[in-house]
Amino acid sequence: MTWLPDLPPYGTDWERMSAMFPGAFAAVEELHRAVWASVDPVLVELARLRIATLLGFEAGLTVRSREARDAGLSEDKIAELSSWPTSRLFSVRERACLALAEQFVIDVNGVTDRHVDDVLEHLSSEECYAFVNALSALENLQRACLTLGVTSSPESEWLSGGPRHPTSV
Amino acid sequence: MRSRIPLPTEEVTGLGIPDTSALAPAVGAALGRLFKETTRLPNLGNVTSELVRIRNARFQVCHL
Repeated sequence: MTWLPDLPPYGTDWERMSAMFPGAFAAVEELHRAVWASVDPVLVELARLRIATLLGFEAGLTVRSREARDAGLSEDKIAELSSWPTSRLFSVRERACLALAEQFVIDVNGVTDRHVDDVLEHLSSEECYAFVNALSALENLQRACLTLGVTSSPESEWLSGGPRHPTSV
Repeated sequence: MRSRIPLPTEEVTGLGIPDTSALAPAVGAALGRLFKETTRLPNLGNVTSELVRIRNARFQVCHL
């Protein structure tokens, strides 16, 4: 549970914080819904889970994107995610996106033209731009949750295709 | 500054950076709203916000 004081006593940590800052939290949710709608959900889900592993965001590892599952992402592949460079379950396209995702999180200044060119071999400019913004949104959310002590992922509702949060516009 | 992603236009923004507004407009609009909302957060001083922004820009070697 978050250590933030003076929050309303009801709901999840995310809902309690949203009640304090409805505009900002609605904007975060809107950004996440926009990036998920702009890129192949399997690629975003693989990146989300890999970032959660790298950052140690356990809450994020317990939820799944329904859209990615419906698009064919299996639990077997998720179980192999740490071995993506060598596992035969991952396509060249997925490896290019995961390489960019890892470099983005570990040291963004280490992102090279090669990283981006490899992704552009498989994604359009629009998709690549959206994917980079997805990486940014996912990393920021997970780091914020870790810092604030949020122990349940706010993504659980968004990833299951659930309704918009009441604070959304 | 050169964009690594091919852009549909060579226009630059007021900051002198490549204009990406034509790429994924919904994402761009959501980002714009998020920036606007975070600058409106109460109890967050302008001086503190700017110091954090500049410190982070230096750490990330962002020259914007």
